[in-house]
Amino acid sequence: MQKEIKHTWFYSQSPQDVWDYLTKSELLEQWLMPNDFQPVVGHKFQFFCNNTCFCEVLEVEPCTKLTYTWQTNSVETKKPFVSKVMWTLLPKENGTELQLVHNGFTALEDLIMHENGWNKCAEKLEGLVNKVEK
Amino acid sequence: MTPQTFDAFQVIADPSRRQMMQLLSKDSMTINALAENFDMSRPAVSKHIKIMYNAGFITITDIGRERHCTLKKDGFDELQNFINYFDQFWAGKLKKLETLLNNKAK
Repeated sequence: MQKEIKHTWFYSQSPQDVWDYLTKSELLEQWLMPNDFQPVVGHKFQFFCNNTCFCEVLEVEPCTKLTYTWQTNSVETKKPFVSKVMWTLLPKENGTELQLVHNGFTALEDLIMHENGWNKCAEKLEGLVNKVEK
Repeated sequence: MTPQTFDAFQVIADPSRRQMMQLLSKDSMTINALAENFDMSRPAVSKHIKIMYNAGFITITDIGRERHCTLKKDGFDELQNFINYFDQFWAGKLKKLETLLNNKAK
């Protein structure tokens, strides 16, 4: 079972260009969502949409790293869950590698980091489910 | 008493329920056997079991006079669906950023 989201993307622009699009509210809005973001640690902000995200800036290292919390509601039950979004920028010869890690989904990791390892657990689970649902 | 309904994330937010699921990941267990592992009243254990059952994390099968709890996939699928949703969300957004940056360069 997947416990976090990871994406790596290459952009042929400089880290500064990419950083601007991550941290300038009006540029961020163009590709993500309307927001009141500021690149200041401790700043609380929102991404405005049908299912508004409540966030707080945790880390700001200009052109290198940006982290914020990401709290949104379960689509079905409207109950909040908390997670974390981390952006890392790596300068490359002809551009910038941007890494995104979105993890910390409430207590999901605790459950999955179970000593036996999740894969083993999931296999067993599948076996059990098949047995039960006959 | 109205049965409480929780979403998948709330179900796993409770440490006792996580521990119950970890025990059940090793083998199915009767409610009594499960309760022996916890320092809480039998009604409290039953309440947790009902919550996990309602959210699709376990099934309960009556065998003789015993009630057997077994992990069920549905609850875990809901967690996975949520993660999959955001996985695709970000992939789409990052692609859009690429288009924007490229247009800007022209």
